[in-house]
Amino acid sequence: MTTDTLNDLAAHQQVAPVETLKMTARGVNVFYGAKQAINNVSIDVTQENVTAFIGPSGCGKSTFLRTLNRMNDTVSSARVEGEITLDGENIYAASMDVVQLRARVGMVFQKPNPFPKSIYENVAYGPRIHGLASAKNDMDRIVEQSLRRAGLWDEVKDRLTDSGTALSGGQQQRLCIARAIAVDPEVILMDEPCSALDPIATAKIEELIHELRGRYAIVIVTHNMQQAARVSQRTAFFHLGTLVEYGDTSDIFTNPRETRTKDYITGRYG
Amino acid sequence: MNSTLVAGVPATGAEPPAPARTPTDWRGAKMQGSIRRRYAAERRFRLLGLGAVLLSAGFLVFLLWTMVGNGARGFTQTELRLDVDFPASTLMIDPAALAGPGKDAALAGADIEGATTAAATAAFGTDGERLLSDGAWLTVRDAIAADPTILRRKAQIWVPAATNIDLAAKGDAAPEDEAAYARLDKAGVTKTGLNLTFLKNADSTDPTLVGVWGALKGSLLTMFVTIVLAFPVGVLSALYLEEYAPRNRWTDLIEVSINNLAAVPSIIFGLLGLAVFLNFMDMPRSAPIVGGLTLALMTMPVIVIAGRNAIKSVPPSIRDAALGIGASRVQVVFHHVLPLALPGILTGTIIGMARALGETAPLLMIGMRAFIASPPGGLTEPATVLPVQIFLWSDEVSRGFVEKTSAAIIVLLVFLMLMNGIAIYLRNRFERRW
Repeated sequence: MTTDTLNDLAAHQQVAPVETLKMTARGVNVFYGAKQAINNVSIDVTQENVTAFIGPSGCGKSTFLRTLNRMNDTVSSARVEGEITLDGENIYAASMDVVQLRARVGMVFQKPNPFPKSIYENVAYGPRIHGLASAKNDMDRIVEQSLRRAGLWDEVKDRLTDSGTALSGGQQQRLCIARAIAVDPEVILMDEPCSALDPIATAKIEELIHELRGRYAIVIVTHNMQQAARVSQRTAFFHLGTLVEYGDTSDIFTNPRETRTKDYITGRYG
Repeated sequence: MNSTLVAGVPATGAEPPAPARTPTDWRGAKMQGSIRRRYAAERRFRLLGLGAVLLSAGFLVFLLWTMVGNGARGFTQTELRLDVDFPASTLMIDPAALAGPGKDAALAGADIEGATTAAATAAFGTDGERLLSDGAWLTVRDAIAADPTILRRKAQIWVPAATNIDLAAKGDAAPEDEAAYARLDKAGVTKTGLNLTFLKNADSTDPTLVGVWGALKGSLLTMFVTIVLAFPVGVLSALYLEEYAPRNRWTDLIEVSINNLAAVPSIIFGLLGLAVFLNFMDMPRSAPIVGGLTLALMTMPVIVIAGRNAIKSVPPSIRDAALGIGASRVQVVFHHVLPLALPGILTGTIIGMARALGETAPLLMIGMRAFIASPPGGLTEPATVLPVQIFLWSDEVSRGFVEKTSAAIIVLLVFLMLMNGIAIYLRNRFERRW
């Protein structure tokens, strides 16, 4: 642990006193064909906190994240066991509509992936397919509000018709966040959102996560332990497909229970 | 450096220490020689490539030169001025009958052909009618129908010249024809102009009367049926196989079958068309709809293969992005994957359609090589297509057909270029910058 990280911890680790369970996972196993990628993971995601998943490459943290909005459905060999709920409702139940689930549980990917359309269209696409705006000015308002929340409005307001792919990497990632926000989700999953960005763009995204906290339940996968320490209140450490330790971020970083966690966060492996 | 490292490692067992590596002499003659040889190989390769390009460009220029040289003459026709003294002629026709509904019967009943022959004899001497095209009397008939009042006076009508006079006018005939033409030219009764007949008519036995419109229209109708069928079915198959179908033994089998179908010789498709569409389904022989169906069978695999490759090359991150905000599969496919894959699909379609347009063999099998003397009126009427027409004309004995064949080839090439031009325009419109 660097002193920087400890300072960050001191600054941000005030866990909200009231906590509401947003998503829960109980005994989740994920298989790719015969290979088991996730082994018996149980975890709670709360509305008020940012939850970070850390762990070495290939430990299954991204796989687990993708089970939370059923993005693994697109992989034909993937099979999920166990129970995951959103507001107490099993998301793998037959009654759960996967299209609606993904609107409620939005996702931001590792590599910025704006559509090759205009900035406006990128943000407006989600609300349009879900019928969230009927009139043109309703849509304009949604687009502006989403871009403002993503901290991108001032940079792009004069060129909303430009292609989303013409933005810089950091701007593209914030555009993707705006696109996720635009459908008014309840949970936002972020899969290493800063791994393709420079430090300045990373700082902006982290600031943005702070601002979005509370309004949306946020789950973030990160390779960068300082980032986990800076942005999250809860941290889960994954190793080889199992959840090794889960708790308040301050505890995980200052006083880990498991030696594996300690070895990882002190940089002995991973 | 390497040698010291190896030497530093204690020798284990019986393994002798590796011999020290001599330092590479980058500036030595051996190294310089090898670099020179590499550059020489590069130059040779570039020259070979350039040579190949020049050679193919040369062939193309030669082809176009020959085609245009021969074919341009096919678009012109020499006409002779025929003086017809209608009151003095043997023509038994009542101008009043031409105003009424019995017009066609009246024209058919009169011996216009005889009158034309007589006028030709009068104007150009004995055997004068041999200077005129066999269809000259049709022009006279049309002139009477257009203006019945000429029956009361002497009229001058421009009628098409016979093939040998026409060729003589274009400087490509036997000496006696050249002499006959020179005589007519001196008398000032010849003119050579745009051959509207060629652009309006269909096949004929007389080269001065043939036209390319029948075959062109047949090609248009056939291509219409082909694209209306092959494009949507091909694209939808490609989308289903790429985006929906599970990967298993059945889809593998389908994939192999489609790849094989794309390589099947086209005449086999013709036999299939004959067996299925004509014999089993009893569809009309020689009709554009059957031709179109047969060519669609042939074109579809090409579109499916090109379509699958184009769809495969759409980055998965775009699918993730759309799925991640709650788009359904159909929305992902039609809002994102298809628009991004369309340029590639269109490229495949251009290739498939160009091949279908130039296809002759399968159409021979379904009867499109028949002699069809009038342009098709619809999808189910007998028709022929440009490549088959070219094939038929190239077989004709009469020398007048040589230039008509080349002219038809020019029409086919222009049609092909127009079709490709449209497809390339569409492709560029849909191409997005990343």
